[in-house]
Amino acid sequence: MGLINNIKSYSEGIQISAEKKEIFSSFLTNGFPTTKDEEWKYTSLKKVIANEYSIENKGEVIDLSVIEKYSLEFENRIIFSDGKLINTPTIKGVSITGFSEFESKTTDSILQLNKALSQNGFTISVDKNTVVENPIEILFLSTTENSFSQYRNQISIGENSEVKFVERIQNINNSASFVNHFTQINCDKNTKSEYNKIQNNTAKSQLIDTVNVYQEQDSTCNINTLIFGGSFTRNNLNFEQNGSNCESNMNGVSVLNDNQLADNHTFVDHKSAHCRSNEMYKGVYLGHSKGIFNGKIMVRPDAQKIDAFQSNNNLLLSNTSSIDSKPQLEIYADDVKCSHGCTIGQLDDDALFYMRSRGIGIEEAKAVLTYAFASEAIENISVEQVKTLAKNLLAQKLNVDLDFSL
Amino acid sequence: MLKINNLKAGIEDNQILKGINLEIKAGEVHAIMGPNGSGKSTLASVIAGKEEYDVEGGEIDFEGADLLDLTPEERAHKGVFLSFQYPVEIPGISVSNFIKTSINERRKAADLDPMPAKELLKKLRDKMELLSIDKGYLSRNMNEGFSGGEKKRNEIFQMAMLEPKLSILDETDSGLDIDALRIVANGVNKLRSKDNATIVITHYQRLLDYIIPDFVHVLYKGRIVKSGGKELALELEEKGYDWITKEADKKWA
Repeated sequence: MGLINNIKSYSEGIQISAEKKEIFSSFLTNGFPTTKDEEWKYTSLKKVIANEYSIENKGEVIDLSVIEKYSLEFENRIIFSDGKLINTPTIKGVSITGFSEFESKTTDSILQLNKALSQNGFTISVDKNTVVENPIEILFLSTTENSFSQYRNQISIGENSEVKFVERIQNINNSASFVNHFTQINCDKNTKSEYNKIQNNTAKSQLIDTVNVYQEQDSTCNINTLIFGGSFTRNNLNFEQNGSNCESNMNGVSVLNDNQLADNHTFVDHKSAHCRSNEMYKGVYLGHSKGIFNGKIMVRPDAQKIDAFQSNNNLLLSNTSSIDSKPQLEIYADDVKCSHGCTIGQLDDDALFYMRSRGIGIEEAKAVLTYAFASEAIENISVEQVKTLAKNLLAQKLNVDLDFSL
Repeated sequence: MLKINNLKAGIEDNQILKGINLEIKAGEVHAIMGPNGSGKSTLASVIAGKEEYDVEGGEIDFEGADLLDLTPEERAHKGVFLSFQYPVEIPGISVSNFIKTSINERRKAADLDPMPAKELLKKLRDKMELLSIDKGYLSRNMNEGFSGGEKKRNEIFQMAMLEPKLSILDETDSGLDIDALRIVANGVNKLRSKDNATIVITHYQRLLDYIIPDFVHVLYKGRIVKSGGKELALELEEKGYDWITKEADKKWA
């Protein structure tokens, strides 16, 4: 019973290489992580994997109007429908194809499963010296009820190039879907990249999303994660800095209600000297929601002159919401600047009264203060459409009608 | 306009206001003075609706409605404005956005459409000129990193934008240098009309050289112990509060 058995029967019906078979058998030996694993201490997959899932996706034709509903309408769109790549844009200096095999780490059983059995995803390669002006939008749409899907994507950005992405994983129906998503990003020398994740899936959607970023000298990579929807979201975001003068930036905003759970695990591996990392995660928790933040920063012995900054600020707006926050610093070099800070609080009563005394209703005042709280991370996003969407989703989630622009 | 009748209020078990009676008519300026801890700021907060104060008795009638039945935002919609002694910093919201939201929330309560952008901009410009505020200020975050004087000026700026019927200025003079005090007082004076009223809460007479009150009240131990005309403020400046407080203590003993 449950997902493991669904996966086993599925694996019996497909042909995979001997190498993949071996990886798959390690997955079966390890099983899905449990709360006994240190990395999963506060996040239980028990309920997620107890469900029955359909692994063979049906592949219904999705109406264009449905696509428009979830798209931010960028010119360049990559669209998947039940795993099948149905649209790829033509961009000068960029090659976009479907799933391909590539080397990747299989540090946990989730990645083992992904490597062994996934057959869908994209492969993007940006040529050297190419500036892609318009962001590339990537939509992963699913029509299959109770589907379990895996995607495996790779992005390679050539020297001196710049590119931005906006990604959305979306269920078209309201069934209990589960996605195991993996993206590997290789940033060559002197590249600039930004990857925006809009995680606003339907109420029963579940997601494990792993992103491994490998950076070479003088590269800057920004990953922004916006969590508004889904019942279960686990993000593993790992950076490896392999050259000097790299910069890794992470911004996260989670706004959760009901019984939603969102877990952000980040890991920055500072392997080279003269590099920077900045992470700013903001969480707003309503209802019975639960947040987890685990930020690990490793500074290797030769990685001198590192500037690493981490903050995780949380607002608990109900008595039944919770947050577990854990910074994890391992520093083996002596000339580094590392700082971390975590706050957990409620809205400031004095600020609420101040706003109310100006005629702003209590719900609006709460929304404005919550927006103000999250805005610092939202403002770091460079794609205007994503910023606007984040503000609108925030207002929607807090159930207020507010125009924040002026 | 405002009629306070036997108002008793406190915080937890500590009664601070012990029966305040005060009547203010449209067009009037009342100064409330008194030694520290006499209940001046509590009175301002209770009129504006701060919830941490428990009202144990009395009424605050404002143009026929009992303010005590209303939320702070409803009081603001009716035209009550409090200039805070310690304005609150709100990072992430610009001064202009904050003021726009305040104005439009008030208009919404009165079933009016949001103020057209052009009208709003003109109004912002006019009032900034009135208070000698420069343009860059509008895009700064609300009170964040403002000096004491800037915060107070920002309070009066909001008052000018919201055009309240009853303004309560709680220690608006504290933290202001003499030039800023003049600008702020000048702004308040220009906003005075026969239709609105102002309560000026202050410890010192200084502000009253610029905002001339029609009435002066002395608050002591939660009661108004003496009322008079503007000359009372001058007498207090000269003689201090002792002669009044001693008299009151004797009477209560």
